[in-house]
Amino acid sequence: MSYFVQVVVDGLSNGAIYAALALAIVLVHRATGLVNFAQGGMAVAATFVAFALTRAGVPVLLALLAAVVFGFVLGALLERGVMRHFERGDPDTAVVATIALLVLLTGASAFFFGYEPQPFPSLFPNRTFEVLGVFVSFRSIGTILVLIAVMVGLQLLFRSTKLGLAMRAVADNPESSALSALPVSRLLMIGWGLAAGLGAVAGVLVAPQLFISPGMLDFVLVYALAAAILGGLDSPVGAVVAAAFIGVAENLAGAYLDVVGDDLKIAVPFVAVMVILVVRPQGLFGRKTTVRV
Amino acid sequence: MTSTPHTVRAGALVATASIAVLLVSGCTRAESSGGLGGDGSSPGITDDSISIGISSPLSGPTAGPGSCTVAGLAAYIEAQNADGGFEFGDGNTRQVEFTYLDDVYDPARAVSNFRQLTDQGIFAYVGALGTPTNAAVMPIAEEEEVPQVLLTTGARTFSEDQEAHPWTTGFVPTYATEGRAFGELLVAADRPITVATLAQNDDFGQSYLDGFTEATEGSQVEVVASATYEPTDTTLDSQVTELAASNADVLLSAVSVTPLQVGVLTKAQSLGWLPSIFLPSNTSTPGTILQPGGAEAYPAVFTPSFSKNPNSPAFAEDEDVQAYNAAFEEYGSQIATTYTPHCTWSYAEGAVLAEAFAGMEEPTRESFMTALRSISDFQAPMLLDGITVDTTSDDEAAISTVELVRYDAGTGGFAPVDGF
Repeated sequence: MSYFVQVVVDGLSNGAIYAALALAIVLVHRATGLVNFAQGGMAVAATFVAFALTRAGVPVLLALLAAVVFGFVLGALLERGVMRHFERGDPDTAVVATIALLVLLTGASAFFFGYEPQPFPSLFPNRTFEVLGVFVSFRSIGTILVLIAVMVGLQLLFRSTKLGLAMRAVADNPESSALSALPVSRLLMIGWGLAAGLGAVAGVLVAPQLFISPGMLDFVLVYALAAAILGGLDSPVGAVVAAAFIGVAENLAGAYLDVVGDDLKIAVPFVAVMVILVVRPQGLFGRKTTVRV
Repeated sequence: MTSTPHTVRAGALVATASIAVLLVSGCTRAESSGGLGGDGSSPGITDDSISIGISSPLSGPTAGPGSCTVAGLAAYIEAQNADGGFEFGDGNTRQVEFTYLDDVYDPARAVSNFRQLTDQGIFAYVGALGTPTNAAVMPIAEEEEVPQVLLTTGARTFSEDQEAHPWTTGFVPTYATEGRAFGELLVAADRPITVATLAQNDDFGQSYLDGFTEATEGSQVEVVASATYEPTDTTLDSQVTELAASNADVLLSAVSVTPLQVGVLTKAQSLGWLPSIFLPSNTSTPGTILQPGGAEAYPAVFTPSFSKNPNSPAFAEDEDVQAYNAAFEEYGSQIATTYTPHCTWSYAEGAVLAEAFAGMEEPTRESFMTALRSISDFQAPMLLDGITVDTTSDDEAAISTVELVRYDAGTGGFAPVDGF
């Protein structure tokens, strides 16, 4: 029994890593209507800033705050300097532009910090505690708590603030929003800035485990996109629940299905995602969009 | 609209340049594919020079070890060049021209780099790192009869059948050799021991397990749990949890990815499982793996070794190490900024190359391969005492023995092992 619980707990802590990035993807989608492939690249670039600061002796928490600020500025500048040129055009072109940004940001991080994975100090104590034969690390608990706080914060931002409402309006229909006197460009900039700032939080949370390197989030991005889409792309709660589901399903399949084992366990959650999306195309928590003819 | 003429002109320029490049490369290609130059010598060698090339990962996740395979070799070669050059068996002294390219650990890039190097007319391809990359290059090297030698990969493919692959040799001990050394240590303890294995799901992991199984067959050593992983996995927590349930005495962790190996070390102890640990030589560097992973918590951490650590105080007075440090500081430190043992391996490889040159009676690739395959009992610099280079066996790499060492958290280095 404790083995089963341990497998689930490990799955949740993996899921927390995916959820961190998935939340940022949801945020940018909510704010701009785009799926942003550069999310991982922005997060890594901001995390490297925190890394450089901790190297210089700055406490992790302060370094995190600096990274969030840097991320916000970076995201806003990228929106202003690059993405704005694509915003009125075909959304597919804009998505491809985000892929180009991902490559560019990864290269820039590597230029300054090299490709070698390097250890990153943890915000939380690097210890574990035991409950009824199950070992849980403070790091996972801390990560999950921060993610829940972020998730609630985002939910409140979009549901209960004017800014959130305006951002949703802009993402939904930029032209009508502009006609209603909403500052569309500035809202898009803020959306990208917030998403990159959140990316910095995600990066700092997962870097102690993954080691910081320019490609740190490359594979995580695949899981995070799956989680974001399964969760419904515009639902923070959905992204977190879906990420937890993917982490736990993967681990349980690896541990209990002998046919699957360690080699195929990665396929299990993705097959599940496909099946769920066939049945529920809008995702677990997504809103159904209908088009009136 | 005004940009159109420029675009056209730029396009024409690109086209012209491409044609020029094609013509040039076409010419060198025709020359090199003949195998022999005008005076009966192979491409890439003159009376006073010889050119060699390498393609290794210099960027991407494997950049650390990859850069080291270039840096150590460059250090040896340039130091020797500065010292007058390399003496050859035909009586000439030659300067070695060394070209290196980055393949990001990507087989397709490695192949195109190899072609670029042979088009430039290299004499031999030396010391490249990586199993998939070298496996992709091997058939082409064979077909074009270009020596692809002293490779920095422990996969058996490059060493186990040298009659079938006469142009390819491995340098470092095969992973099977490393696995076998672990097995032999446990068998020598002569008591029942349980083992859990964690292996990368490819040639690397499989060779490790094969060597280990060969050594422990029919003994009291029993593998009670085993798991595999993909190098792309984000964490190995679930595998370690699964293995920890066996509570085995020993964990053989054939993991080649730095963050994952650190994750294994932290996860096992966080579950209260404290086995003795066996780590491969390529993921047991104290500064990047053992200290971040908290290796001091385990009763013992073993790893195979065959080279001296130039940063260890134990070797500070060693002449080899001093020569290495001086050469590396001057010629290698720009290429590789962080130390991995691959730096010392490739430096030793430079000495083996020099030994082959010394035995080379004619300026041909055939003569080079003959000389390279006739080295025995050669004490290359930076190898541990008792480890010698022997290229005469046709199913083993140039170095086919390893010594097990044990992590000493007090000094941050390794100490010799006298039993399990």
